[in-house]
Amino acid sequence: MSDTAMAAAGLGKRFGRRKGWALRECAFRLPAGRVCAVVGPNGAGKSTLLAHAAGLLRPTEGTLTVLGTSPAAARERMAYVAQDKPLHPQLTVAETLRWGREMNPRRWDRAVAERVVADGALDLDAKIRVLSGGQRTRVALALALGKRPELLLLDEPMADLDPLARHELMGTLMADAAEHGTTVVMSSHVVAELEGSCDHVLLIGSGRVRLAGPLDDLLTAHTLVTGPAADLDGHTVIESRTTGRQTTALIRPGGRLAGTWQRTTPTLEELVLAHLRSPEAPSLHLDSDDADDPAEPVEAAV
Amino acid sequence: MTVKTAPAALERPGRAFALQGLVRVTLRLHRPALRFWLLYVAVAACALLWIYGFALDAAFGTFSRSGCRERVVEQACDYSGTERAQLGFAESVARRLIGLVPLFAAAWAGGSLIGRELERDTAQLAWTQSVTPTRWLAAKLAVPAALLVTGTVLLTLLHRLMWDRHSELWGSAGTWEWNQSSYFVANGTLATAYALLGLAVGALAGLLARRSLPALGIAVVALLTLASVISSLRPHLWPAETLTRKTGYPQQSTGMVVGDGVITSSGSRVPDPYCAYDECRAARDVVGYYRDYHPSSHFWPLQLMETGIVLAVTAAATAAAFWLLRRRTA
Repeated sequence: MSDTAMAAAGLGKRFGRRKGWALRECAFRLPAGRVCAVVGPNGAGKSTLLAHAAGLLRPTEGTLTVLGTSPAAARERMAYVAQDKPLHPQLTVAETLRWGREMNPRRWDRAVAERVVADGALDLDAKIRVLSGGQRTRVALALALGKRPELLLLDEPMADLDPLARHELMGTLMADAAEHGTTVVMSSHVVAELEGSCDHVLLIGSGRVRLAGPLDDLLTAHTLVTGPAADLDGHTVIESRTTGRQTTALIRPGGRLAGTWQRTTPTLEELVLAHLRSPEAPSLHLDSDDADDPAEPVEAAV
Repeated sequence: MTVKTAPAALERPGRAFALQGLVRVTLRLHRPALRFWLLYVAVAACALLWIYGFALDAAFGTFSRSGCRERVVEQACDYSGTERAQLGFAESVARRLIGLVPLFAAAWAGGSLIGRELERDTAQLAWTQSVTPTRWLAAKLAVPAALLVTGTVLLTLLHRLMWDRHSELWGSAGTWEWNQSSYFVANGTLATAYALLGLAVGALAGLLARRSLPALGIAVVALLTLASVISSLRPHLWPAETLTRKTGYPQQSTGMVVGDGVITSSGSRVPDPYCAYDECRAARDVVGYYRDYHPSSHFWPLQLMETGIVLAVTAAATAAAFWLLRRRTA
């Protein structure tokens, strides 16, 4: 198994000649075994990126490699759950699982797929068209996990789920990923949904990679400072807001910080929001090959 | 087919199983269409068998008893009688069912087989399993193609059976024209070829439109256009035979007419000036009349030439569909 789950170089995609770029000059590297959150606002290009990784789209320029090869060649070794959870509405749950087995004859793990479905207490003879959104998501996830993928691509997996179903499914997913060492790439525009389950972050804004790297490294590379309005020269200021004489700023420290500042480590949400509010802030890549540290065990915490 | 494995073990069957699986998947996803096709073939086949085994003889019995057989010129008595009406109805239903297969195939392939799958993203779901888009499309086309060929070949054979029985009984007194388009198609390889063309055109329309309803519309319009263009070429696909006569057209009504007109003394063919008298003919240098036509012995050459063209267009549409799919996906 390659130690890189996914890598992009100069990846760009334009739909039609007159439309703008959905992705532009994307470059990043995701080590295997990580749980990676792809975050960004609606329409940022998250779905386009995942569809490229799944081999459903061809890049207009640049390359994207998956599990050390092209997405088409890695088809058998990865699973993809699209945003709207497409399933054949005329099939029953049991027939859908049989469909999965027949579409993945060399990889299918029936027990895993059936367990995911059974955990949701789904009626095996129910047609897909009568299932609720949460139940459909569970069947889609059963199809994906039944394939026993090395790389699992999930596009907004938890959208339109109630909090309880979200919690349950995330638990199922993370437990399975931890057990098999699966690399998970999960997109969401709800950052809170991913905090606590991911250890790697890819922030996409306007089709470009704004932040890429291990979550902890990204968080420690930034500091949230509060204090009387003062100069922040020598530091990279991502965002700064002043109310009265008090200034709050998210910075990438470039040296010693004056003692007047109160400093805290930002949360993922603060980090993401600050970067999205400041589109002109420079991007930060902490995922280059030489800066790579051995992948830490995936935490199954939810 | 049973493949027993321990619950926790990965199933690792061979390539043959993978192929069978893809066939089963295609059949299961389109079960209503499969049922419809079986019913369709059954209805047409029953009608043809009924005509062959019963209706033709019954109609011929009344026809003979009425004495019409000896007086062929009196057309009125050709079309009377309940048996004759029943025969005519059943025969036209069966023939039209055969003729409509390509249209149904195109509408279904565009709207349901491909268009709906792309619209609902279930095609994308399939492509992210272990099956490449190319193999997915190959299965989508091969399984219905096999069923269409089986069904249309069966119906064609039954139609020929009925046709031969009719010729046997009526002989030259028959009113069924071999060159009338729906008989011509139902009696040969064209019924199958046009059905396959419908499937290919529908699949291409589905991939182009990527939505169910527009794909259905495009498929139907494209098929009707192609079929009318190709069948308009029909009389020109084989060298015609020529009949000539000094005054008035040769009596040749039971063949496929390609063209007619008058011949001048220099031997050139010109449009008919519609002369009633010899003076008129002489003034316009008309020395004779000609008619180009296909006798019934040209049935197979014409049939096979057109089949070749239809299959070539089918192959082109299929190639275009694969090309389009490969260009879009990785």
